[in-house]
Amino acid sequence: MDVRKLVKMANQIADNFNAGDAATAVAGVLDHITRFWTLDMKKQIIAHQRDGDTGLNEIAAAAITELARNETYAA
Amino acid sequence: MSTNSNFSRYQRAEDFGTPARVSTESVSLTIDGVDVTVPKGTTVMHAAALAGINIPKLCATDSLEPFGSCRLCLVEIEGARGLPASCTTEAGEGMVVTSQNARLADVRRNVMELYISDHPLDCLTCPTNGDCELQDMAGAVGLREVRYGYEGDNHLSAEKDTSNPYFTFDPSKCIVCSRCVRACEETQGTFALTIDGRGFGSKVAASQDQPFLDSECVSCGACVQACPTATLTENSLIEKGQPEHFVVTTCAYCGVGCSFRAEMKGQEVVRMVPNKDGGANHGHSCVKGRFAFGYATHPDRITKPMIRDTIHEPWREVSWDEAFSFAAGRIREIQAKYGPGSVGGITSSRCTNEETYLVQKLVRAAFGNNNVDTCARVCHSPTGYGLKSTLGESAGTQNFDSVMKADSIVVIGANPTDAHPVFASQMKRRLREGASLIVLDPRSTDIVRSPHVEADFHLPLRPGTNVAVLNAMAHTIVEEGLADDDFVQARCEIDAFEDWKTFIGRPENSPEAVAEESGVAAEVIRGAARTYANAPNGAIYYGLGVSEHAQGSTTVMAIANLAMLTGNLGREGVGVNPLRGQNNVQGSCDMGSFPHELPGYRHVSDAATRALFEKEWKVNILPEPGLRIPNMFDAAVAGDFKALYVQGEDVAQSDPDTQHVTAALSALECMIVQDLFLNETAKFAHVFLPGASFLEKDGTFTNAERRISRVRKVMEPLAGLGDWEATQGLAQALGYDMNYAHPGEIMDEIARLTPTFEGVSYARLDELESIQWPCNADAEEGTPTMHIDEFVRGKGLFRLTPYVATDERTSRKYPLLLTTGRILSQYNVGAQTRRTHNSSWHEEDVLEMHAHDAEQRGIDAGDWVGLKSRAGETVMRAVISDRVQPGVVYTTFHHPASGANVVTTDNSDWATNCPEYKVTAVQAHKVTQLSQWQQEFEEFTAQQEGFLAEAKAGAEEPVN
Repeated sequence: MDVRKLVKMANQIADNFNAGDAATAVAGVLDHITRFWTLDMKKQIIAHQRDGDTGLNEIAAAAITELARNETYAA
Repeated sequence: MSTNSNFSRYQRAEDFGTPARVSTESVSLTIDGVDVTVPKGTTVMHAAALAGINIPKLCATDSLEPFGSCRLCLVEIEGARGLPASCTTEAGEGMVVTSQNARLADVRRNVMELYISDHPLDCLTCPTNGDCELQDMAGAVGLREVRYGYEGDNHLSAEKDTSNPYFTFDPSKCIVCSRCVRACEETQGTFALTIDGRGFGSKVAASQDQPFLDSECVSCGACVQACPTATLTENSLIEKGQPEHFVVTTCAYCGVGCSFRAEMKGQEVVRMVPNKDGGANHGHSCVKGRFAFGYATHPDRITKPMIRDTIHEPWREVSWDEAFSFAAGRIREIQAKYGPGSVGGITSSRCTNEETYLVQKLVRAAFGNNNVDTCARVCHSPTGYGLKSTLGESAGTQNFDSVMKADSIVVIGANPTDAHPVFASQMKRRLREGASLIVLDPRSTDIVRSPHVEADFHLPLRPGTNVAVLNAMAHTIVEEGLADDDFVQARCEIDAFEDWKTFIGRPENSPEAVAEESGVAAEVIRGAARTYANAPNGAIYYGLGVSEHAQGSTTVMAIANLAMLTGNLGREGVGVNPLRGQNNVQGSCDMGSFPHELPGYRHVSDAATRALFEKEWKVNILPEPGLRIPNMFDAAVAGDFKALYVQGEDVAQSDPDTQHVTAALSALECMIVQDLFLNETAKFAHVFLPGASFLEKDGTFTNAERRISRVRKVMEPLAGLGDWEATQGLAQALGYDMNYAHPGEIMDEIARLTPTFEGVSYARLDELESIQWPCNADAEEGTPTMHIDEFVRGKGLFRLTPYVATDERTSRKYPLLLTTGRILSQYNVGAQTRRTHNSSWHEEDVLEMHAHDAEQRGIDAGDWVGLKSRAGETVMRAVISDRVQPGVVYTTFHHPASGANVVTTDNSDWATNCPEYKVTAVQAHKVTQLSQWQQEFEEFTAQQEGFLAEAKAGAEEPVN
């Protein structure tokens, strides 16, 4: 699906986990995306991040970087 | 003799005369020589009835407080003067009562003589002949003559009021017993009726002595049910005559889940009468459940399967088998071409538990993916997420009766008098008893101020600011030392609480900081917080005004935080109570309709749970979540998602951003719709499987209380198959063996695989009337109140709830905020209620606008108004209302042509993608014609209805 949609969703998730401590927020976003996004959505956002200027905010970007470490989602 | 019949011979439900009382103390007395012991507070009449002694009565009925007007129930009590009325006399220890003797017989005969001297003598042609309490009493007292004669003044020429489409008011038969007035007060809480005049001139009057339809009457029918004569009678009874058998079943409208007696003649419903033993409704109902069942036999019902290759051609009627093979063939072709994940399904939140279970099973086992979702996505999915996260279970914590023990009732983003009317009536009863009321809602909904009910605090917060205000309330409670520290320390995770406490104490979470943005004065926020926190029992009820927001899940967690903070969990009278909308939305969530969860809310990544289902279903289940409905549409537009099986949902009308939805549906290569009527979604379908109404099948529904109730078949499915049989047929055509003989077997499978349902079976449901899950070895009769000793997750978890303003903001281009909701007489997309007389009350969706905003735009009441947002534009008629504040406009979505969802956007809750229906930035201006979308919609609808007509015509022609 349109990757801009995925970026918007990821940023929104990040904004809602952002209550102070960045590390906790990143962990929260990572857990959320892992639990609720489909395999294709995860692969797509990881690929998008690899391609450069993503539009992802700081916390979302950090979470996707972590997500990319999971072999299952390697695109 | 053996039978599978659910039928009971028709007879009136037992009536003990006055309400049952509960007490820890008992009293013992003797009535006509019979000893009886009853709870203290029980009346002599009720005690007698329990002992099998039936004291004559007319103005008394056990759904209402005693009144003492008819004077038929007089008794003699040893040592007491005169002849006390047994209905108003409490049973006393050691009382000796005589209910029948010559003196009492004379008095009673005299009373009946007076009644009958002013009553039509047309029993044989009267609709309640044989089922009339006045007849019964005339017989019981041995009335043989009326010495007054019949020539005197009387009311026999009083005119009938047939204004209400569902019942007739015939005052010539009225005995002015006041049961109807009392029912409207005590049971319903609307206070629409009164006794006008005095003495001989006394008569029942609706509002200002108006026809019922013009009055404040909400057509709940409580008065009709209470009336002992033919004065208030259902029109369907007048037309059809009296029923001969009845079946107990459950309403298919809202999440209250009222239990009904479907009173039948053969396979025809004569009337639906609320079941007094219903655990959720205790003998009450609303206009929809009681009267609006005609849709089930409406001519629009489609009863033959249909197929077509594209949506631009007529339908063809075919057999079930042909429809199944066609659908299965297309699905497999599409999966071969686009991949196994290119297809999915939507389960119905209106079909039974067994049926939704089968659809999600079909998707997981026969489609081979997890692309299944349900309408909860667009309403209470944030409840699922928020309560699971904080308390450990995706459901409300109490039963409805719990409200009677609440001292402070908080209603957030809910309009219970319209959307959960029977529960609202119960809540109003508690409010009239003195509980305080706090309402958080941008609008002045009816609960804010209604007869004998007034909110102590109404917080008219701007749409989108829920989290800010709830955080401010929590901030107040912590700051002012009103928290229940003992509860928190004992029952909640302390580290998380300490983090949360630090967070909530921040200045930006104070009432003073949020006052301007929320539009609620700081003192009001503080006052509301103090009232809730100080009450011995504080109960929070909430609805879609909480969940249908960009921070819906956050708001739910904020609510749970408040309840934990004040120790308002784990007993009666408190709790977190989501008012689930549909009759079985709770059930469809329970049954694993979400793309990330198997039945019982267990994540698909959990290997042990997967193994359990894989073994039973004999397939592999994917460990990754599937697509949610909004993401299915996104994927369809992108070309990755190509087929959809939709059971009982009308996404083209109910989902937001209609133009995006219809673009998605148009992009599908195969859509299978299973429904009762050709709804908006079916206009984009290639396969139509005719559905069955709740009257046509066996199964169970689960209401907002987690209460599982039986749905019992009263007539054969018009299309020949129940919905579960259709899903089964489709599965078989896909090559997956689904072979249940009866829905009870499906429930048995669910119980085998789901710990919270382990003890549930049809036999047990017959025994207990209904069961609130969890029901298993730890709770053999179910669980009315949850989290009593500990939370389902062990310790309660305080989640951080930072306020993030929604992207949807007003601007110069779109300076107003649109919020949406529901009304009493129409239900959801209106597919059912628009096909009944309920349209008498609400023929179209209208735009409610404050006088200030209307004046600025030159808009008068009744003008056509163009409503435009960044998503689209539609036109509705304006109504000037002070229920909305300046800057906020409101409408409903019950009629497809109003296009309310053309205007709503793709903004959604961060956690669940639940659409933000409640906040859309709009502009409104006066127009002279319908919008472009509406004009196109009319053309498209006419075309699709033409295609349907051709199918029916084609079926009548001989086959060459």
